[in-house]
Amino acid sequence: MESNPALLSGAILLALALLAGLWLKFSAGRGKQVSNREVIDLSKLKAKKGKGQVKAFGAKATLLQFSTEYCGQCPGVRRQLTELEKQGDGLLYLDVDITERLDLAAHFSVSQTPTVFVLNPKGEIKFRVAGTPKPGIIQNELKKLGAL
Amino acid sequence: MSELKRIDPRGPRFGAAITAALSLTGFILSQEIWLYGAPVSILLFVLFAWSVFFPATHPYGFIFKKFVRPRLGEPKELEDPRPPQFAQKVGFGFSILGIIGVLVWPILIPVSFAFIFFAAFLNAFFNYCLGCQMYLGLRRLGLIGK
Repeated sequence: MESNPALLSGAILLALALLAGLWLKFSAGRGKQVSNREVIDLSKLKAKKGKGQVKAFGAKATLLQFSTEYCGQCPGVRRQLTELEKQGDGLLYLDVDITERLDLAAHFSVSQTPTVFVLNPKGEIKFRVAGTPKPGIIQNELKKLGAL
Repeated sequence: MSELKRIDPRGPRFGAAITAALSLTGFILSQEIWLYGAPVSILLFVLFAWSVFFPATHPYGFIFKKFVRPRLGEPKELEDPRPPQFAQKVGFGFSILGIIGVLVWPILIPVSFAFIFFAAFLNAFFNYCLGCQMYLGLRRLGLIGK
């Protein structure tokens, strides 16, 4: 069969896109430990829950989700974490819309939404996940903090 | 947010699959002589412009509703239409690159196809919306407004 260079470059492009997709599937939502001991300042975060502004962290752990209006995966993650909050013990779930708060996005280097932080009782960031969290990852971190 | 009509997320993915097929075809056509891709560049430009300015009447949406959706089950969940609409604007931007290629600098034709194919392919087959992911980054760089 004679080789056709145009078809070959098309096949290469297809293969590259396939590799990129597989890599994204593999790496998205795995999360990583955070060790800089940064404590979230609730008075700057201005997270709302129910009617008022949130003033205290969860007794054992807090899940902090950053969302944007344009984010396709955010509502699904919100539902999943709200469900987890009900099962948890001393667990608080917060969702902050950062569409209009780019200062927050810049401060925490949030480059995609949803991004989820797991905080200890003092409000220190222990773990962060960019993208839809893989099943069980958040649960694992919560178990370490005794909140699940 | 609640006033917006939520959409079946498989609709945009179906459209992205067609866009991926068209842009890959265009890419292959434009390999030996760049300008051979021009008709597909123009077609993609028209389709993207259509979905940016008149999303309700777009042929992809029509084909999806008429022929594809009846064969699928109920969607697991509905989605906010704004992320895919934003992604269409990104695609529209890259299709303009293709038109610049047709008019001025033909090497932009395969370049534009490659970008469009990449984004559309990831959207259709991996449900990964590159344009949506870029949104926050672009906002932070101050390149786009609200």
